[in-house]
Amino acid sequence: MKISKQEFLIRSGLEHETLASWLEEQWLIPSDSSAEMSFSDIDIARARFIRDLQEIMGVNDEGVGVILHLVDQLYGVRRTLMTLQNVIKSPSD
Amino acid sequence: MSTDPYEVLGVKKGVSHDDLQKAYRRLAKKCHPDLNPGDKTAESKFKELSAAYALLDDPEKRAKYDSGEIDGSGTERPRQNYYRDYATSEQDHPYADNSGFADFMGSEDALSELLRRSARAQANRRGHDLEFRLPIKFIESIAGASKRLTLPDGNTLDVTIPPGIVAGQVLRLRGKGAPGLGKGGFGDALIEVEIMPDRLFSRERDDIYLEWPISLSEAVLGAKIKVPTPTGDVTMTVPKASNTGTTLRLKGKGAPKHGGGHGDQLVKLKVMLPKGPDPDLEAFVANWEKGKTYNPREGVAS
Repeated sequence: MKISKQEFLIRSGLEHETLASWLEEQWLIPSDSSAEMSFSDIDIARARFIRDLQEIMGVNDEGVGVILHLVDQLYGVRRTLMTLQNVIKSPSD
Repeated sequence: MSTDPYEVLGVKKGVSHDDLQKAYRRLAKKCHPDLNPGDKTAESKFKELSAAYALLDDPEKRAKYDSGEIDGSGTERPRQNYYRDYATSEQDHPYADNSGFADFMGSEDALSELLRRSARAQANRRGHDLEFRLPIKFIESIAGASKRLTLPDGNTLDVTIPPGIVAGQVLRLRGKGAPGLGKGGFGDALIEVEIMPDRLFSRERDDIYLEWPISLSEAVLGAKIKVPTPTGDVTMTVPKASNTGTTLRLKGKGAPKHGGGHGDQLVKLKVMLPKGPDPDLEAFVANWEKGKTYNPREGVAS
């Protein structure tokens, strides 16, 4: 489901400037196929995760970048493992 | 699971704001669900932790808790999906990073062959099946119905409930699931039907059970009475000398059978006297000799 920038700001509770800096850092990568950028549920969940890191765990901006990089790799590996599991389970063609 | 917020956070009563936050942060780092994608319990642990912190961090709430005015439950805040719920899904997203595995992909071993094969399969992968639950009325489960499901994305899905469906049965709507990739086509929508209990009817296999009240005169003299069935009212003959517990069978008024035909509806009669004392009835029963000698408890072990 596509979410407009305005709705994204409301649902994630972010300020304009915060979003701008997160986009700058590429912590968030909305799709901008057309003139308007559009967000999806994964962006909202990721924004909450980043806020949790900052507000709950007290991670500073440098730390957030490092954590996101490692977390993205962790999830990448998990996806690959899941794919492998599916390939092994399904009959080969 | 403990609901004592002090215990959850491992702090003592009277803990300072700073120490409380320190304890919370230390534990949150360990159990945040997005940092523990493989731990199914992380979410509930984190929720419990956040609820405990929300309570103790608010001086007013903490005072109320300490004085016993509120307990530790009910302070959980609803939370939408975690990042991990999206990041591990098979669907592609811009944050997917396979560099942690890149060195495996280049080599000629069996593992990389598997990965390449799956990449080819992914190119034309069929869409996911989407699962829904649909509660329906008992009567709809017997007679069939057309229902409209509103999906989380706002679209609707028309579902035809076949007559005689049983609880837990799953309806598969082909091609109504998530879109696939390339030539993969759409997945299916799987709809699990939940049947809400009915005030009157119950069902056992293909037969429907109904307890139905009759008057004393109808029981003694017999009568033709109207009886509801899931497909509408029918007229039923109550024979003379019917009793509470007498069960009458309405042939073919039950649920549709799997191989054709219908089960029956079984109507269990319940004799009801009029409410309140009735002088005529009293006079009549007082003069009824056989009524006084009849002992319904005879032969029933005491």
